[in-house]
Amino acid sequence: MKLDTSGLESAEPVWATFNELADGFSAAPSFELPNTTDFDGFQKEAIQMVKPAKGTTTLAFIFKEGVMVAADSRASMGGYISSQSVKKIIEINPYMLGTMAGGAADCQFWHRNLGIKCRLHELANKRRISVTGASKLLANILYSYRGMGLSVGTMIAGWDETGPGLYYVDSEGGRLKGMRFSVGSGSPYAYGVLDSGYRYDMSVEEAAELARRAIYHATFRDGASGGVASVYHVGPNGWKKLSGDDVGELHYKYYPVMPSTVEQEMVEVAGA
Amino acid sequence: MSIFEYNGSALVAMVGKNCFAIASDRRLGVQLQTIATDFQRISKIHDRLFLGLSGLATDAQTLYQRLVFRHKLYQLREERDMKPETFANLVSALLYEKRFGPYFCQPVIAGLGDEDKPFICTMDSIGAKELAKDFVVAGTASESLYGACESMFKEDMEPDELFETVSQALLSSVDRDCLSGWGGHVYVVTPTEVKERILKGRMD
Amino acid sequence: MTKQQANWSPYDNNGGSCVAIAGADYCVVAADTRMSTGYNILTRDYSKLCKLADKCVMASSGFQADVKALQKHLAARHLIYQHQHNKQMSCPAMAQLLSNTLYYKRFFPYYSFNVLGGLDNEGKGCVFTYDAVGSYEKVGYSSLGSGSTLIMPFLDNQLKSPSPLLLPAQDAVTPLVEAEAVDLVKTVFASASERDIYTGDKLEIVVINADGIHREYMDLRKD
Repeated sequence: MKLDTSGLESAEPVWATFNELADGFSAAPSFELPNTTDFDGFQKEAIQMVKPAKGTTTLAFIFKEGVMVAADSRASMGGYISSQSVKKIIEINPYMLGTMAGGAADCQFWHRNLGIKCRLHELANKRRISVTGASKLLANILYSYRGMGLSVGTMIAGWDETGPGLYYVDSEGGRLKGMRFSVGSGSPYAYGVLDSGYRYDMSVEEAAELARRAIYHATFRDGASGGVASVYHVGPNGWKKLSGDDVGELHYKYYPVMPSTVEQEMVEVAGA
Repeated sequence: MSIFEYNGSALVAMVGKNCFAIASDRRLGVQLQTIATDFQRISKIHDRLFLGLSGLATDAQTLYQRLVFRHKLYQLREERDMKPETFANLVSALLYEKRFGPYFCQPVIAGLGDEDKPFICTMDSIGAKELAKDFVVAGTASESLYGACESMFKEDMEPDELFETVSQALLSSVDRDCLSGWGGHVYVVTPTEVKERILKGRMD
Repeated sequence: MTKQQANWSPYDNNGGSCVAIAGADYCVVAADTRMSTGYNILTRDYSKLCKLADKCVMASSGFQADVKALQKHLAARHLIYQHQHNKQMSCPAMAQLLSNTLYYKRFFPYYSFNVLGGLDNEGKGCVFTYDAVGSYEKVGYSSLGSGSTLIMPFLDNQLKSPSPLLLPAQDAVTPLVEAEAVDLVKTVFASASERDIYTGDKLEIVVINADGIHREYMDLRKD
């Protein structure tokens, strides 16, 4: 199997001059593969041991004023919550965002890699890369690793010369253009809120509230989603983080608790 | 995923000075999907005896009904309430009856015995009793609860302090568990009264 | 005859717990010194901490053979960095390097769960936590390894720092002073060693502050 490891090549030129010194520790070693006849079996076992399971709600949609992107912030390993503060919306450059669902390391690494590639494109062509182009770059890399166990479900959202752009890209090689996506274990719940509340001609405030509500409802129903609901907006002047709300507090903002008249119940103990 | 983790649960019982507290979360889920957030896992057997059932909810309810039935027969025949130790033996016996097709439950029993001595105990799904002097835990958040209780527990706490401790331990534990939480339910039982409180918690 | 296959795994789990707490001008990194395999204790005195740079310490649990390989690799990379730049690598730079190093072994991972603690360029404490394949996150405190499920809820309870994702942003650094943080670490390890069989024997604590690196030990349960 020949792998495309071009994505791992460092942009740093210093290595060329220090080759003897850096031998074996070069900035861009290619992926080391286990020496086994049963690669798939090994992968399956190894991944079981080390990878945090995915549980996520992310969503993005295009509307009149641009693209709205939102996500929760929970990472879980089985039933255990390993973090409540994961940054699932990755800032690729000032005009483009990526979302993270699936394997945390896979998403983080390849988005970082995509950021480098987008910057190189910008330097070579003297203009920003289109969202279409960027998503295709990522999709092509992921396709070249298809079947090797990468787990990525991402949305690339941004603003380019043609206006707002939104693509869904996954590790199975899929790449879809669309107006409205939600990815992750909480996506069915998020879609429910999103589809019922979506209008193209929303204001930024309305859209942000819809995105926030959709994430909140997903975190409520989905055990693997939670933490902080972050909402980003991408407009002609780049992205801006609009809000980051702790879902724990958001619930009581949406549904305030009415103090009941009887707060505690006294019970006579027999024989006291 | 284990059948014990199908519905998700967190249970803890803690001993204080002549009193005890038993607390649970309020979630009922089907794997990762939350179905209800006002589920009762702890039930009163009599005024000084409480039973919490973690694990598979359907088995917990069946087991609870059978236990209440047996306890009522005991009350009719003996004209008194069951002692916590006796009740623990009953639960254990009922669980072991199904040794080769168990109820997928881990019970927590907490009660006040003779001379108001607190009694807490847990069991595995086939009835092996584990008595403790300080605290017992059960459910999907049990590991987190062990850590929290181990760090927070002090001997001979008064009811108010006991309530605070058990609530803090419960809430911080379920916040590290996907499958339990969505509020808490705490009972603090002293020889003279039973205080029941609902805790506000993170709803994610 | 059917084809025989060697039923051998390149991995083992040696257990152990790691904790790191970042403060305003210090960072505490700690781990127990027990190394086990299955129900056996291999040694009661094995350091899981590794000094990577002047202001950067890594604590690792998981498979110690992989950890050792990883530490050697990072040491070599750091030496090259020193030759090229004539300075020590900063903690955030080391964090990024560690992430990439782990990800380059994505298809044959290092079975190690690392937490990196140190001081950043402004002298503020910082903690980075990792999964085995290199996803990482900057946090105020963290716990990893076999006892992490026992330790983390209590740290949450005591340190509850506001999430860095909140807007308006709030400072995420732990409010404790250095001595309190060291005491807290001792408490959580004493508790964890009560219930986790892979954690115990001895606690090794490293405090990194403007004065440099200071190390101390505390005995834990030996059973």
